[in-house]
Amino acid sequence: MTSDLLTPVDTAPTPELDQRVESVLPVVHDQARIVDDQACFPGEGLAVLRRSGLLGLLVPTEFGGLGGTVPDLVRVADRLAGECLSTAMIWAMHCQQVATLVAHATPGLRARLLPRIAHGEVYVASVTSERGKGGHLLTSKAPLTRTGGALHIERDAPIVTGGLAADGFLITMQDGGDTDHGADGRVSLVYADRADLRLTTSGSWNPMGMRGTHSVAMRIAGTVPADQLVGVPGDFRTAAVDTFAPIGHIAWAACWLGAARGALGSVLDLLRGPAGRKRFDLGSDLLRTRIARVRMELDVLAALVAQCVRDIESGGDLAANPVQLRLNALKVVTAERSHAAVDQLIEITGLRHGYLRDSPLALERTLRDLRSASLNYSNDRLLLANGALALLDRRVTLAY
Amino acid sequence: MNPEFESVVRRHLTWLEAAAPLPTEQPLKDLGLDSMRAVDLVFDLEDELGVVLPDEAMTATTFATAGSLWDALTEAGEPASAGGA
Repeated sequence: MTSDLLTPVDTAPTPELDQRVESVLPVVHDQARIVDDQACFPGEGLAVLRRSGLLGLLVPTEFGGLGGTVPDLVRVADRLAGECLSTAMIWAMHCQQVATLVAHATPGLRARLLPRIAHGEVYVASVTSERGKGGHLLTSKAPLTRTGGALHIERDAPIVTGGLAADGFLITMQDGGDTDHGADGRVSLVYADRADLRLTTSGSWNPMGMRGTHSVAMRIAGTVPADQLVGVPGDFRTAAVDTFAPIGHIAWAACWLGAARGALGSVLDLLRGPAGRKRFDLGSDLLRTRIARVRMELDVLAALVAQCVRDIESGGDLAANPVQLRLNALKVVTAERSHAAVDQLIEITGLRHGYLRDSPLALERTLRDLRSASLNYSNDRLLLANGALALLDRRVTLAY
Repeated sequence: MNPEFESVVRRHLTWLEAAAPLPTEQPLKDLGLDSMRAVDLVFDLEDELGVVLPDEAMTATTFATAGSLWDALTEAGEPASAGGA
């Protein structure tokens, strides 16, 4: 190692995007403790995100959006998550819906909806959960019905993140299409404005972490124009494979990694600050190897995020086995290791700085938040898929 | 360069004779400063001179010579002199 290696690498986003992000971070930071204490939705955070234009990050410029890239999505998610993981996930999941709309919505829906998203008027929530299907993304039991030129939605969803605050919903529905044959296993994605829906919410929200995501059970009913079916009828699978799942995994991973990155940054500030210098021995071999391991884990995760971003941006076949394996691995490994990294930071900083709820480092909140990561679309389900896919790739096709 | 600075830097230069003056322009690595020692040198300077070097200053240029290191410190703040740290 030489001193040259201490030179920081410039990975800053464009100055203009950076300014938009900087403008929202103080509010997101200040609200983080309150939304965690009260398990309430970060209303002020969403309000500044609306004003910042960041709800339209992935909306193309011709619709008034920022025309952002997948690396932009990663950078912004990372920054938001460094302050409040709940707010970051709410924003990231909105972006996942937007990316799917941009890639698969009909021209009519794009023209009506994307400018409203770009102007911060529409926060889109995702409705994919359903009782009795155990979290399968590509199934739905609620049938989509049609009358003339209209689509009828009637559906129960046990968990809708941000359901009370959302202005629009992207909803999976069982769809045999007009022919009404073989509906089982065929799923369509439908967009609905809140104003076109009758919404009944139920249940309480008192989880271990991610308390700001205020997820509720909803009964959703309403009628929308036929052109609000997103993608090919009955073929949500295609949109899921080429947009919804990969963007979702990358956005989630960026959030989880961002939360761990923020946690390490705040610990380093403590250790290097005057108070920390009195309390911690920076020359300690144990401290240094522990810090090294946490940093190493984050570098490994960031490298995997970067590779998956390249997979998406390369325009290659995202359904290919090695790519599917990697995108699933990204979700699983980032969920596990971000949590483990923050757990290790608590070990390093000890009871007072790491474990107390009112410690400014907020490590205990971040740890509780990150505990959800393996459950948020279950790691077990993705590992089962990867086990099967790995058996089929005897050449073990790695990315390099 | 003040005496406190010289005293701290000198501790980390294993190849500098005790009686020799601290050279301003000679590469510190030629005087025994490696990158691991540079980290400890930063911490000692921060502790004893009360100046925190920003992350952006953690470059080979900063640690090239005693003169460049002193320049970086004075840019980051007023290094404390005797009794001030």
